[in-house]
Order: sequence, then C-alpha cells, then structure tokens
Amino acid sequence: MKSKFTNPLFSSYIKNEGLFDEIFDDNKKVRKTYKKIFELYRDHSNSDYAALNEKAKAAFFNQGITFQVYRDSQTQEKIFPFDLFPRIIEAKEWKTIEKGALQRSKALNAFLWDLYHDKQIIKAGIVPMELISSSANYLRQMQDLDPPGGIYNHISGTDLIKHSDGNYYVLEDNIRCPSGVSYVICNRNALKRALFGVFNHYQIHNVTNYAENLLEIMESVKPHGVDIPTCAVITPGIYNSAYYEHSYLAKTMGIELVEGRDLFVENDFVYMKTITGPKKVDVIYRRIDDGFIDPLEFRQDSAIGVPGLFAAYKKGNVSLVNAPGTGVADDKAIYTYMPEIIKFYLGEKPILNNVHTYHCSRPDDLKYVLENVDKLVVKPVDEAGGYGISIGNKLTKEEIENVKTVVKENPRKYIAQPIMSLSVHATYIEDSNSFEQRHIDLRTFTLLGNNKEFVLKGGLTRVALQKGNLIVNSSQGGGSKDTWVLKK
Amino acid sequence: MLARVANNLFWMGRYIERAEHTARFMNVNYFSSLDAPNKLSQSRKFVLQSIATMVGDVPKKEKDLSEEDIIYNVGLNPEKPYSIFNCIKYARENANTSRDSMSTEFYESINKFYHYVNDFPKELLIKSGLHDFTTHVIEQTSILRGRIRSTLLHDEIYALVLLGINIERATQIIRIIKTKHEDAQKALGGYSKPIENSFEWTTLLKCCESYDMNRRFYKKTPNQNTTLEFLLLNPNCPRSVMNSLNQIQNHMATIDSLKERDKTSAAFLVGKMRAEYEFKTVEEIETDVSKFIDYTLQGLANICTKLDYEYFNY
Repeated sequence: MKSKFTNPLFSSYIKNEGLFDEIFDDNKKVRKTYKKIFELYRDHSNSDYAALNEKAKAAFFNQGITFQVYRDSQTQEKIFPFDLFPRIIEAKEWKTIEKGALQRSKALNAFLWDLYHDKQIIKAGIVPMELISSSANYLRQMQDLDPPGGIYNHISGTDLIKHSDGNYYVLEDNIRCPSGVSYVICNRNALKRALFGVFNHYQIHNVTNYAENLLEIMESVKPHGVDIPTCAVITPGIYNSAYYEHSYLAKTMGIELVEGRDLFVENDFVYMKTITGPKKVDVIYRRIDDGFIDPLEFRQDSAIGVPGLFAAYKKGNVSLVNAPGTGVADDKAIYTYMPEIIKFYLGEKPILNNVHTYHCSRPDDLKYVLENVDKLVVKPVDEAGGYGISIGNKLTKEEIENVKTVVKENPRKYIAQPIMSLSVHATYIEDSNSFEQRHIDLRTFTLLGNNKEFVLKGGLTRVALQKGNLIVNSSQGGGSKDTWVLKK
Repeated sequence: MLARVANNLFWMGRYIERAEHTARFMNVNYFSSLDAPNKLSQSRKFVLQSIATMVGDVPKKEKDLSEEDIIYNVGLNPEKPYSIFNCIKYARENANTSRDSMSTEFYESINKFYHYVNDFPKELLIKSGLHDFTTHVIEQTSILRGRIRSTLLHDEIYALVLLGINIERATQIIRIIKTKHEDAQKALGGYSKPIENSFEWTTLLKCCESYDMNRRFYKKTPNQNTTLEFLLLNPNCPRSVMNSLNQIQNHMATIDSLKERDKTSAAFLVGKMRAEYEFKTVEEIETDVSKFIDYTLQGLANICTKLDYEYFNY
C-alpha cells in the first residue's frame, strides 16, 4: 500500500507490510536511530540528492575504486554502486553481533585444528566423516600441520541478515579470502565528503583502524625465530575482481603487494625479487585460492602461485594468512552443523542464529526439498559469488523441474533453506529519483591472531538494487551502504 | 622495492612521456603544414608520411596513406601499439600494478585521463577533434608530471619514474629530429634554397615546444645549426638531449649511488654518454647529422638494456 511521507524524497515510498523495514516501524513512524538523519534529508530536494549521488559515483570511478565483471569471456570495469543513505546499528545490537561473530570465528578455528589433527568431533559422531572426505576443499596436505599460533582463519567474514522477526541470522561464514573490507572504508570516506553535516549528530565508531590491526595480526603469527617479520600481500594480479582491495590493503599497511612471479623459494625459504636482490618474506597475506598457491603441491597449471611455497610453509619458514585448507569449514554443508560445533568446542550456546537447512545428501531432506522447491532457496554447497542459487518463489514451473533434475543428479552438491526474508532499507533509486525499499545484508570482519582478536566496528552492508531481488553480491548487481555502529 | 614494480614504474614514465610527444608531433605537423611555404611540405601525403614515420608504421604503398586512417591509428586505434590511446592505457596499467606505491592524487589523475581518452569518439577525432584531443593530451601529461613531482616521495620510486620520463624524452626528441631532418632533406626550397634554412627546422622546434625559447636565445630565424645545437646540446633547454642526460644521471644516483664506478653498470654508461655530450660541438655533428642521430639512439638503447639487466630482471 502507498503512504504519504512529508519528506519529498520519500513521497513515493511504498512500505511493504510483510518486510522488516530498518527505518520505519509498523506504524510508519521513523525509528529512533534514524530520526535525525531523516530530518536532515528534509533539506534536500530530489534534484539536490540526484546531484550528490552523481558526484559520489564520479568520485568512485575517477579514483578507480572499481571491480571487473566476467561475462561472455570479457571483463568490464564497473563501480561498486554506493548508496548515500547509511545503515545505522545501535550499540546494544552491535554488541551481540560482535560477540556472535567472534564466537563463530573461534569455533571454526578450533574445528579446523581438530579436523586436521585428531578429528574428535567426527569420533564423537557430531559431524559425519563423509562430509569432510567428500569436500573438495579438504586438504590432506594440512594433516598434522601446526600453523603458527594455532590460527587457521585469521580473517573471517560473517554474512548476516535480519529476518522479518527482527532477529539476526547468519547466512554463511567466509573464511577463505573474504573480501569487501576496503569498500567499508571507501564508503565511509565517500559519505563523509557528501553528507558531512550529518556526522555531527551521531557518535560513530571509525573504521580506519582495520589495516593496523590486520598488520598486527600478521606480525603475531610470524615464523619461529624471526624478530621483525617482513610481511606482504600476494594478489593474482590487476585483472582480479578484488585487485583494488589488495592494493588498498598493502598501501594502508605499508607493505609490499606482490604477485606470484615476484617470489621464489630457495632452501624452503621465500624471497621477493627486489632491485637490490632477494629479500626474505616471513608472513604472506594471500589473496589467492588454495588450489593456486603452489603449482608443485596443488594445481599444476597455476601461473599465479609460487613453486615451493607450501614446502616452505610446512617447514614453518613462512606463515600464510589465512592458512590453506580453511575452505572445508565454510562449506555450506558444514554451516548447518555450526550450533553443534560451537557447543562442542566452546561449551557455549550460539549467540547468532543459524538458518534451518535441509541437506540433500540425507534421503528424508532430499524428499522434502524435491517436494517443496517453490518454497525454498536451493544452493550449491561450494560456489561463491551468488552463482547457481535458485529462489523457489521466483521460478517458473519449468525452472522448478530443472532444479529438481539437477539436485537429483548430485544431491551432495546441494542444500536448501527456507526463503528468509531479508530486512529492507530505504535506498536511493536513480530511475525513479526517490527512495525505495531494498533488501540488505551485512558482512562483518573478524581477525584472529596469536593472543589477539579484533572485530571491525562496522561492516559491509550490501543492498540488492533490483526490486525484490534477494541476492546482494556485487557480481550480481548489488550495491553497498556505509554502515554506522553507534558508540552508545 | 620489487623489481617488477620498478620496471612498471619506469615504463609508466616512458608511456606518459611518449603519449605527449606523439600528440604534439601530430598536432604541430598537421597544423603547420596547412600554410607551409612550399608545395611539397604543404601536401597531405608529405605530412602523413612524416607522422607515419614518427610512429614507425609507414604503409608500403604511398596511395595507402589515408588521412583518416593515420589520424585514427595514431590517436585512438586500440590495435596499434603506438597509438596515444594505448600509451595512456599502458601507463595506467603500469600504475595499477604499483598502485600501492603511488599517491591517491596521482592515481586519480591518470585514471581520469584514461577515461577521457577511452571515451573520445573516433568520428570526432577524424572530423574535427584533432586539435582538442592532442592539446588535451599534452595538458594532461603535464598535470601528471606535476602530480608526480608534488605528491610522490622523492625516493627511488620517484627516481625510477623520472628515469623513464627522461630516457623516453631523449629518445623521442632524437626520433623527432631524425624524422624532420629527413623531411628537410626532401622538402628543399621555400624561403631560400639550401637545407640549412629549411622551413622544417621551425616545425621541428615547435614539435619540441622549443621554438619561442630558441628565438629568444639566438635572436634569429632557426636554421639547422642553431636548431640542432639547441635541441641536442644546450643543457638549459628542458627538451634537449643534454638536459635529459643530466637528469638521468641524477636519478641513477638516487637509485644506486655506489654503482657509478663499476664500469659494467648502467650508471657508468650514463656517465660516459653524458660526458661525451657535454664536450660535443654542433660543428662536429653537422658533418654527418644522420650518423650522430643513430649513434645517440643506440647509446640510449644500450642504457635501457643495461637497466633491464641490472634492476628489472625478475
């Protein structure tokens, strides 16, 4: 139903009753946290706002804060669409998120140590062995290897949504190479430039301390016997979709950004090739997937890795951040065991909710999924970037049959979840030159080191720009919002 | 610093400088030919031939020299490695690979510049945009050099970029001299007969943005003698080979001050060439201009080979 708001930018705002709106409560009153900013927007006419929006976009483009999209074997340069209306999270609410994200990261770390050592959780019958042994991301090479400080997932990204019941649910854990943190900082900078007046009215945690904490985390897991470690970020190169982030992190940490061809291994030590000769490298933040880091140990066709890197890692002469083999634990099939995993290792109740999940590998679940494809989200367990996901209520009859066939062919590859209703947030839509409801999620960033932990007070709020779309990934046309965590 | 990054910075400098010289050469030759004093230097074919020679891509048959093709190829054609478009694209790509060592301000300038060139319509360039396009390119490269000087730390990163810029500048100046010297030999006549007073010397000075200062320095119409002396040997002319060699030597010292005494090093080679140039006279050069041009080109190429081997060999 349509409702009238006095604010011109909201004059055509349609509040859908079934969805949780972050800004307006059920009586269409602005929630307390958003009151100030909503009032400030009253001063902007639609054309003012359109101009601000254009300016912010041009700034991103000119600064080269872009990503590449692969389509039809061509890459295209695009800016990550950015929305000027920030998402605001209250201090109390944030406390739960922060504690919950940290709890999950620690549990996942303990789980990884166990999987690559005694496998007690499997012996206890909590997680089935075949789930591990059939996982493409389980690395037998990591068995009985002790990573420095006992840390596997130094960097974790936790994807959360707010359901229509007003509670946060974790959608997935990302502990391979979670990306997006550079956008958190860029979004903040862009918003500060465009709407500086707003900041006087809110006490917000700053987000620029991520790089210094990441560097400390890297230094905390230095190899044994190294006094002041030389750290580096390794990237697949300028054509990678996250290259901007790689260069940004290296620049703000003040360390070298290297490619595979800049490094070589001699006597199980890693060196980078500088203009004055080889220089030893001790800690590497790698933004290259497991399979590609070392052609001698993993995929032989990798041209972006470093031959001999894994042998050096095994000897303890270099630390890798994140450790290889973490992918086995952020698998969407493992996700469903997270409540049990947290209980098993930490003896705690999970702070953040899990979404109920049906495993197509279980006959009962498979039967339910096949009968209810129209009510479920069906996902492949090992794809990233929102590819291969089908959302039941958006499918035609024919498409539903297709999904059924695909799932039946390879049940292990699929899980299904009830269609969660992501909360919505007022988002500026260029076509209508006004605000409309759009679905959002939240990615938080957690760092674990040797006796050190850190959760970035802020995060990446991704927004699905297409009307009604639930997939927020940038590769699927999603945008982002600055995310404010209030101090009190 | 990583050897690969050093190489990229060096080439970034070279491509920025190359874009500028290519743009200016095309601009000056095209527009000065419109009212040139003799028939040959006024002819389309002659000026197109000259531009094609400068970029090293002369069609086999003279009838294949089409004005539209040459302007497009040199300006925007992504298929031609020498096009201004590609120079800027490569410069930006090189900046991309070393983005962590660049200032945000500099990166933003080069990125904006790339988008300008990338968005420039082909039809506009061919029909009426040649002047605007080349002038804008020349201005933007000046801005880039300004940003390099004023926002980067003056350490070895800066030295490498400037090394690239100056080596490219010396090389381009020599190539422009070579092309115009050949033109002067062909287009005899005009205001007076012999090659020494050819109209092409004026064009040459304009191609190197040195015409006004040349007039100021010699107080007479440029001829072969004053033009070559000015562009090759005058250390105060910012476009002269001598000036570039002086700068190259300074920047080499920043990168590695100890290497100069090592006779197998690039620094030694630079010092040797610079010393030779310092005590050269234009009278010695005039006896065989082509030979001296080739000798200089070879000398610069040798320095690059040595640099490659010593610093960029990764």
